Amino acid sequence: MIASHIWENRSLIRTFAINDLVIRYKGSLLGALWSFLEPILMLGILYLIFSHVFKSDIENYPLYLLLGIIMWNFFTRSTSMGLGSILARTGIVNQAYFPRDVLPISACVTACIMLGVEFVIFFGFVIGFQFVPSYTILILPALVALLFCMTLGMSFILSIAYVKFRDVQNVWAIVTYAGFFLSPVIYDISIFPDNISQILLLNPMAQFLDMAHGVALYGQLPSVFALAYTGIISIGVLIVGYIIFKHYEFKIVEEL
Amino acid sequence: MRNYSNHSENAVEVDSVSKRFHTKDRDSIFSRPGNNPEITILDNVSFSVKKGEMFGVIGRNGIGKTTLLRMIAGIYKPDSGQINTYGSMVPLLSLGTGFNPELSARDNVIFYGKILGFSHKEITGMLGEIIEFAELEKFKDTKLKKFSTGMAMRLAFATAIQINPDIILIDEILTVGDQLFQKKSYDTFMKFKEAKKTIVFVTHDLNSVNSLCDKAILLEGGKIASDGQPSKVVNDYLGMLDAEKT
Repeated sequence: MIASHIWENRSLIRTFAINDLVIRYKGSLLGALWSFLEPILMLGILYLIFSHVFKSDIENYPLYLLLGIIMWNFFTRSTSMGLGSILARTGIVNQAYFPRDVLPISACVTACIMLGVEFVIFFGFVIGFQFVPSYTILILPALVALLFCMTLGMSFILSIAYVKFRDVQNVWAIVTYAGFFLSPVIYDISIFPDNISQILLLNPMAQFLDMAHGVALYGQLPSVFALAYTGIISIGVLIVGYIIFKHYEFKIVEEL
Repeated sequence: MRNYSNHSENAVEVDSVSKRFHTKDRDSIFSRPGNNPEITILDNVSFSVKKGEMFGVIGRNGIGKTTLLRMIAGIYKPDSGQINTYGSMVPLLSLGTGFNPELSARDNVIFYGKILGFSHKEITGMLGEIIEFAELEKFKDTKLKKFSTGMAMRLAFATAIQINPDIILIDEILTVGDQLFQKKSYDTFMKFKEAKKTIVFVTHDLNSVNSLCDKAILLEGGKIASDGQPSKVVNDYLGMLDAEKT
């Protein structure tokens, strides 16, 4: 149902998403070049720091780190852009009716396009390191699709909540900040004793990162449990988020 | 609900519509909770606008005129009752506020057109005429932030007009632009009337209600206090204001 809705409104979603990207680099001399330059430099700095200053014995650590950062960036970007998606468009929302869910959806699509750019850079690094990934890397897009469902569901809820309670932005900033350290982005979950890693793996992002690292770098297929766990959470969050959004979408416009 | 069937001779039907708002929000957990009384903005309001009619809505500030237009536009939902509209509709509620300052006039028009439900192809096909009507040919690639308020409003108005909808909802904007543009807008309204388009028109300009509208209603205290011939409704309104002064 949500998929067909997205398809029906694809033109509007595309316009919102492209405008978001265009505006992001408007007024800069290098313009769209920044969409490549920024992640290259960011990832370059992280690579230098974590592969030379903080040495790790994780196999292919630079790629491990880059992949984790890219996936985590997508999570924080899509949810934080989704969070502000209604409020940032007050002018147009107050002026005409159009399907309101287009707003958080296009925010997540924008984040997805940026993820795509970062993946291109990631594969540049993969080639640079002369790393040959296993066939299991073909599962990565499916993991991203599942992650997209989860972040979209969260964005539905956050965008509505943020209009009513501005605290949501502060809370979410802290949650994602803590989440970065509680998820295996810069470390591997196996450094912890079993009981602690089990608790950390309750966090769906930890599962997503663990699976992404496995399929992209170590030729490991995700466990049935991990897939089922993240699948149920992602689809569940998406459905619940959409229901909440639909329930409040008209009431929230009156609060703008 | 938006229908595209042409069976009804009405363009807009407002049926027993009520709308309540909370008068204040709780600011933070540190502010005193207190009570949050609801006020009824519109109380069981019914009327219909025939196809091709120019329909005026008058009343004092804060009486619910804009809320009514927003409900007809589908932006707000009535708490009870029902609103039906028949045909394509363009709301002109706060002109130009939906534009993005960082995008060019051209990109903003395309964006606005898509918001109003038109395809990319349709809207790019109309682009030339829109820019021309707005008299902004020289500025079509200029970012909106360089536009004056009047220019931005002209662009929004031109977009809505050139899209050629069946129903236009207007909130107090006949004073858009300079005299020349006002004259042009006025002529366009007359053309719209001739083309049997429906216009719902909220304003404080009683003269234009008298001269332009076919019918009018006066809102007061959540109810329709007067309806029918614009001259009669305007007189009732003036009488009401006079009675209040003394």
